[in-house]
Amino acid sequence: MTPEQWQKVDEVFQGALDRAPGDRASFLDEACEGDAELRSEADTLISAHDRAGDFIEQPAVTEDARVLVVALDHNIGRDIGAYTILERLGAGGMGEVYLAQDLRLNRRVALKILPTLFASDDMRLRRFQREAQAASALNHPNILTIHEVGEHEGVWFIATEFIDGQTVRELIERAALSVAEILDISEQVASGLATAHAAGIVHRDIKPENIMKRADGLVKILDFGIVKLLERPANDFEGETAYVTQSHTEFGEVVGTAGYMSPEQARGLVVDERSDIWSLGVVLYEMVARRAPFSGTTRMDTMVAILERAPEPLLSHVEQSLELQLVQQVIDKALGKERQERYQTAGEMLAQLTGLKEQLKGAPSFLPSSQPVNVPAHASPLRRLLPLFVGVLVLAAVIAAVFFYNGAAPRPQGNSTAVTAKKLYAEMNEADQLAYISAQEQRISAMMGDRPAKLNDDALRSIKGYVDYYLTRSDKASSGMNADRLVEILTRGRAYAPLIGREFKARKVPVIIGLYLPMVESAYHPCSESSFGAKGLYQFLPETARHYGVSQNEMCDVDKMTPAAAAYIADHMAELGDDAESMTLVLLSYNRGAAWVRSTLRELRQTEDYQRNFWTLLANRHKLDESFRRESAGYVPNFFAAAIIGENPEAFGINMPSLSSFAE
Amino acid sequence: MTTQTKLNEDNLTGLLTEWREGDKSALDKLTPIVYDELRRIAHRYVRRERDGHTLATTALVNEAYLRLAGFQKFTWENRSHFFAVSAQVMRHILIDYARRNQFAKRGGGLQRVSLEGAATDTALMSSARAAELIALDEALDELAKIDPRKSDVVQLRYFGGLTLEETADVLQVSLMTVRRDWRAAKAWLYKAVKSGK
Repeated sequence: MTPEQWQKVDEVFQGALDRAPGDRASFLDEACEGDAELRSEADTLISAHDRAGDFIEQPAVTEDARVLVVALDHNIGRDIGAYTILERLGAGGMGEVYLAQDLRLNRRVALKILPTLFASDDMRLRRFQREAQAASALNHPNILTIHEVGEHEGVWFIATEFIDGQTVRELIERAALSVAEILDISEQVASGLATAHAAGIVHRDIKPENIMKRADGLVKILDFGIVKLLERPANDFEGETAYVTQSHTEFGEVVGTAGYMSPEQARGLVVDERSDIWSLGVVLYEMVARRAPFSGTTRMDTMVAILERAPEPLLSHVEQSLELQLVQQVIDKALGKERQERYQTAGEMLAQLTGLKEQLKGAPSFLPSSQPVNVPAHASPLRRLLPLFVGVLVLAAVIAAVFFYNGAAPRPQGNSTAVTAKKLYAEMNEADQLAYISAQEQRISAMMGDRPAKLNDDALRSIKGYVDYYLTRSDKASSGMNADRLVEILTRGRAYAPLIGREFKARKVPVIIGLYLPMVESAYHPCSESSFGAKGLYQFLPETARHYGVSQNEMCDVDKMTPAAAAYIADHMAELGDDAESMTLVLLSYNRGAAWVRSTLRELRQTEDYQRNFWTLLANRHKLDESFRRESAGYVPNFFAAAIIGENPEAFGINMPSLSSFAE
Repeated sequence: MTTQTKLNEDNLTGLLTEWREGDKSALDKLTPIVYDELRRIAHRYVRRERDGHTLATTALVNEAYLRLAGFQKFTWENRSHFFAVSAQVMRHILIDYARRNQFAKRGGGLQRVSLEGAATDTALMSSARAAELIALDEALDELAKIDPRKSDVVQLRYFGGLTLEETADVLQVSLMTVRRDWRAAKAWLYKAVKSGK
């Protein structure tokens, strides 16, 4: 059609629509007189108009919000200088952080990419380079090593060593830390700070998010010297200028996260090393109390608290203990409102922490701890602690406490006093959690009909990641549809378990698969809000559903979808073989299709330690396509996490029998 | 985004003005900035969405705009034009994703909606949705050949999330014209996308 022809069609179309439906035919007869083609085009268009309904009425993004987020990350797969970006690790105040491969030295690095707008400001960029260079000269095991600060085609980046670990924030949120762990972390941070301060570098943003602990226990301070560049000099003097913190930077992040700011930082005054000492005091407090010492509903309230209020004593948060009295003293000293009241150097604080740690070594633990404490209280460690006490009264109280706590350690923050026979997952240390997951994985595999295999650490951690994720969901008080509490998900699942049990048994598909796929797929919502496809307990594309006898408008009907899902899986079992190691592959095929699974297995057959299961694919994920790495690699671990929780609700603090017991 | 952008807050206004006045290269410089900003905000909105909020394009773009331009006195025209850049960026992002996704997913049997937010999980676009977007994109290009303004109207509204009024402002036409363009374009595209080509 030419623009001219179209213009005519448009005119006729508009004219017809401007008229009442009853008058359209006569208008069209007249307007298209003799022009059959025009008439036909206009008719088609009008009929399309009448049928279009809400087609494209909702902006695309309402449907594809999450796609937008993923797709906007155009950095993945990109080469920046000598680095290839592999995956996104997170976002900080300074832009996105990615895991990348250093092609020259063949090592993994964390690559931080600065926002474009930032990099376009010459003055800031110079300051940033200067700071980063100074920080990169720091060489200390507790400070994250900066490998390179550079620019590639207008994109500024910082390459640092990659730490595979957890931030202190994550550690605090997951479980109560023992005093020994807390002291160990604080000591390592103080040690790193002492070195940096000696080199004249102040961190300015010490907070739980910026401290990371590796699996081997080594602690690293992140983002040294990087914070300053988010601030603007209050005047134009170079050098030791007073830096004010922008409350509303163009990056939208608050510089020096409010709760961890020292009083002088909150006032916008010049800061020195003693500001970092304050912040470490705040972190120390938070690790023990698992809540921030200074907080408020607004940033301003928080600042007022920092400037004017003393934090609530630790002892009101957790049971009184000898150790805590001592820790409290360190905190009190670090949190002096006036800097001359604090430790004057990080070295001084370090010495105190080290002394404390040494003295507590071998001493009985009085802190309500996640670890069972069997060491009986006896006199010698106590005597070693004595010099640290300031008064006889305190001592008397402590001795009373020793007697009082000379027994089983109470549960942390327990609002329930009932003693459960089984240990809660959340209270185990990491090694025990992994061992628990390993044992449970073998049990679930057996229930699926797979030969139990001992999984490697990588695979176990992958499952653990999802278990922990389910747990953080359950902590959320949020009522959002996607943030249901674990207990709500399991309660919903319980209602469908009999139906699932029946339908899956009828098709000789392991019931356990039927029970936990919906937990992964839809969190047991019988109908998701997604406006097309994939809705329902089990998620299908409309075409797939149709093939299994479910029409699009029946996809929320669990009585139809459940047998369809069972039949679909039975078909895949037949296709992939239900031999003793491949049920994990059947699970994967639910996500990825049997054809992909088959062809991928063929590719990997030459691999060392090849086994015909999902875990082999996971171990070789670097060889597989991006879509697998980004999405399908998590599918089976997620399933196992769901099954481990659903089969052992008590271990996760939910008082309910296993889901499979309802499917009998 | 390989543009070597030398830019600061002051000339963001300048770029929008230059672009409005017909300097096409100004758009190339604007795009990476808009990209960066949209990405950051989109991440936040998705987090918020889990708590029951939904993501609205206009809110997203508006916030990107305010944050990029908040410290400047922006004129209404600048704001409209910023929205127009965003619409173009959004279209590009979604279509590009749809194409890559459709390619990557060709072996997949079932589509799932992920348990969102979990470690490596990312929410997806179903292949039906991807196919629809690609068809729409192609049809929109066809429409641009015979009636560029109608194609612009759809880009602004569907990809940019603009209201009829905002669309009229960006295109400097009357509200009535936008209404009529919209209904004709919608019918034309519906026919092209839904009833086969």
